[in-house]
Amino acid sequence: MAVKFFGQFLLEKGVVSREAIIKAVELQESVNLKFGETALELKLLTEKDIKKIHDAQRSEDLMLGDMAVKLGILTKDQISQILEHQQKSHLRIGEALVRVGALTAEELPGYLKEFSADQAKYATSRIVIPAEVPNAAVWEICADLTAKMFIRVVGVQCRLGDCMLVDKIPGNALIAGIDLAGGVSARYHLAVSDSLREKIAKGVLMEEDVAGESEAVLDDTVLEFVNIVCGNVAAKAAQQGQDVEILPPLSQRPGPEGLPVPSGSVAVFFPLHLPDSERAELTLVVRR
Amino acid sequence: MKKVVIADDSIAVARQLEKILVGSGEFEVVAQARNGLEAIKLYQQHHPDLVCMDMNMPGMDGITALRSLVALDKNAKVVMVTSLGGVGDKFTEALRLGAKGVISKPFEAEELLQLLRSV
Repeated sequence: MAVKFFGQFLLEKGVVSREAIIKAVELQESVNLKFGETALELKLLTEKDIKKIHDAQRSEDLMLGDMAVKLGILTKDQISQILEHQQKSHLRIGEALVRVGALTAEELPGYLKEFSADQAKYATSRIVIPAEVPNAAVWEICADLTAKMFIRVVGVQCRLGDCMLVDKIPGNALIAGIDLAGGVSARYHLAVSDSLREKIAKGVLMEEDVAGESEAVLDDTVLEFVNIVCGNVAAKAAQQGQDVEILPPLSQRPGPEGLPVPSGSVAVFFPLHLPDSERAELTLVVRR
Repeated sequence: MKKVVIADDSIAVARQLEKILVGSGEFEVVAQARNGLEAIKLYQQHHPDLVCMDMNMPGMDGITALRSLVALDKNAKVVMVTSLGGVGDKFTEALRLGAKGVISKPFEAEELLQLLRSV
């Protein structure tokens, strides 16, 4: 059981069909306006303004709203006004399924309640991230789901230690990393000892004994574990309107000197406490 | 017995999927691909009843491979097995491109088998 989106939950329950979901998403696409379209509708931007912003975006990688502010075309208050209007008029998947006749308006609240109960185990616990770290909500999800997936996939309890900022990524362990892109720019690193790697391998391979497994297979199970964590982070972030893309995982084994934190980035570190004095370490290197 | 091609860059996942499928006695794994391009080649070679495809693979990813497979054979039965299944945009994109189902990781063996039986 993973982090899901509402349409997937209904499809798996057999409440709606695959075709109904496609129809509902097509309806959402025709109804839900993008940022620029909303600004045009609110008459805060003209077609000429949009062209000017697009031209400027060719030489600098900024979102449309950020570029409009930089060029002095929109104020920050107007950006908030556009985002608020976009959010208020947004047709959600549940309502879209009602509109295409796949659900009745009376059935929808009941299914939303069931969905919330189903996903309750993935509700994000409150984690304090230093204020200077951008996109803190995404890193809260990362830390929280790392601990929860140790329970779900590996079958061991895991408690997050207090978060701190560090100037290097601790070494002397296998580190599985995944680049996170889209609306964020960061690398997720999970460092595990060899004994913890065996436990992860047992969970991922669904085997009682992994003593005969090769180093490559054992390392690969840790990569798969971080792939599962980060995929679910992307799903949870999407529920909160944040776009997180994940790239294929990579592994490395740095010596005691650890790994440097690239300039322009901040490293957010969490110790993870597990049974039998096992300890793993999560470090998120976030570009400022 | 239904013939299956597994496409996943992770040896560990391919092993896990094979264990579940073969263990059920209902499926035979005829080939394993490590990326989307290999999956297309192996599909043409083995003509399987089903493809279990990861989304996030180096080289050609699973979504690109799904698009190509459905263009090659409109009756291809592809099920996406992915940690990204809970991302609404990815889930619906896969369905629109012709995937017969999407299962999110982590999953229970029985959840996967039920989905594969249903397509």
